[in-house]
Amino acid sequence: MTPPPIPQEDLPNPWDPLLRFLRSAGFRFALLFAVVFSSAAAGFAFVLWFATAGSLDRQTDAALRTDALGLMERWREGGPGAVSDAIAERLAADVENHAIYLLLDPRGVRVAGNLDRWPAAAGQGPDGPWSFAFVAREGISVEARLYTMNLGEYRLIAGRDIEEKQRLRDTLAEGIAWSSAAASIFALVGAAVLRRALANRLRPATRTAEAIAAGDLSRRVPSSGLEDEFDRLGESMNAMLDRIDRLMEGVRGVSDSIAHDLRTPIARARAKLEEALADTAEPGALRAAIEQAIADLDHITRVFGALLRIAEAEAGARRAAFASFDLAPVLADVAEFYGVVAESRGQALVTELPDRIDLVGDRDLLAQAVGNLIDNALKFTPPGGRVLLSARSLPREGIEIAVADSGPGLPIEDRARAGERFFRADASRGTPGSGLGLSLVRAVAHLHGGDLVLGDAEPGRLPPGLRATLRLGIA
Amino acid sequence: MPIRLPLSVMLAAPLLIATGEPIPRITSDSQEYCTELVGRLARLPGAGGEPARSLGADGMRLCEEGQPRAGVAKLRRAIRAAQAPP
Repeated sequence: MTPPPIPQEDLPNPWDPLLRFLRSAGFRFALLFAVVFSSAAAGFAFVLWFATAGSLDRQTDAALRTDALGLMERWREGGPGAVSDAIAERLAADVENHAIYLLLDPRGVRVAGNLDRWPAAAGQGPDGPWSFAFVAREGISVEARLYTMNLGEYRLIAGRDIEEKQRLRDTLAEGIAWSSAAASIFALVGAAVLRRALANRLRPATRTAEAIAAGDLSRRVPSSGLEDEFDRLGESMNAMLDRIDRLMEGVRGVSDSIAHDLRTPIARARAKLEEALADTAEPGALRAAIEQAIADLDHITRVFGALLRIAEAEAGARRAAFASFDLAPVLADVAEFYGVVAESRGQALVTELPDRIDLVGDRDLLAQAVGNLIDNALKFTPPGGRVLLSARSLPREGIEIAVADSGPGLPIEDRARAGERFFRADASRGTPGSGLGLSLVRAVAHLHGGDLVLGDAEPGRLPPGLRATLRLGIA
Repeated sequence: MPIRLPLSVMLAAPLLIATGEPIPRITSDSQEYCTELVGRLARLPGAGGEPARSLGADGMRLCEEGQPRAGVAKLRRAIRAAQAPP
């Protein structure tokens, strides 16, 4: 049986490894290093060349220009004869044997100098009077730098044999070529070392990511102890993984809590309905059972509603509804509403609010968060107790809304967990509630760039009471 | 900074020679120029003093031995020495 043909697009591309290598950050960094290193070497070579070979050329030209100006002066003083004498003198004193002169009369006949004919290239180049030409010295062709000028109808060349300078230039060029080759090798080796070092430093993070992708969520990036950028990357990854771990744990906890907390009202509603169904003779009992079941279902709906609001706040989805408003009347309205509840329980709800608190945020969510705090405080404050709602706007810290009660307070070990969904302290098991109130408050605080801080209302007093402070970002 | 001899000119140089265009020749490395320098040295008032005299003699000897370039170099040094103030 022949195997089915493999689709063309599934075939591995033989160039993939090479393309992957070329696209890798390590290669790009190494290439960057090689380019920078080579550019630096090229710049160094250019400066060296300019300062040596270029300087020699400039010296030659300066000497020729001075020489030509001197001869021109002699021309003005004594005409062709004076120039001929000057050329003969200069050639006689030319110990270095570099000087080249030629003076032609109007008919092209040599009058003075040590060149037997006029070079074809003299005065024909793009540099005006300046040119390079080959001349023969003892049968050997050597390079010469020439300066040409007209003296009346006479033509004059002042030049220098630059063969020795050319040899020096060749030596320098050879040196620079070898240096360039060495620099290229250094650049390549350096690039390879850099790429390898980069790969080595990234390997722990890569291996950790691979292990986590394979399912081992306990793995963390080990620190090298160098406290460099890679260690900071590792720390960031570890912090991210810890956060994900906590979130997953939270999600697991929420799932468990939903299953646990909602099972009771559902089971109770079901039992009541079953009981009523079995005892259909009493219409009153049936009605009561149905009403209880509806109440239980309403409770479940409220729990889901609260969960959704917390999720929305945590996801920042409601940030689009942010608007600028005065928080003071909102707090006053909430206090008025709960003031009635407090009175009915024999408690006092006192407010200390400023005239105005300007804020950018979500009015409804903030009202509900403050309502939750007051509701909690009233729930745990005994009859005759006092609940204080205060708010203040601080220039640096932002806005603080505090609800302090005279209840039993909250143990320190429970304060950190108080914002978790469905968390209920042992002391509050007997009171009604779903354990979602403070979760919403905390989520609303985070949404507004702040936090929820729990502490004693009156430290040192027994019971200390609880002070819940909702801190919001600066408006 | 002057432009160096372009590559085209360098490549063309042998071509010019090959096509029969003779390149200019430097004439100051010759026996005739040796004679000219000897005459010039003799006319200088300081030619009899040292080291001009011995340098001139060396130069003449080298020229006669068929080494005009070295001879010319010696004679030029002799002339420069003879021109130098005492």
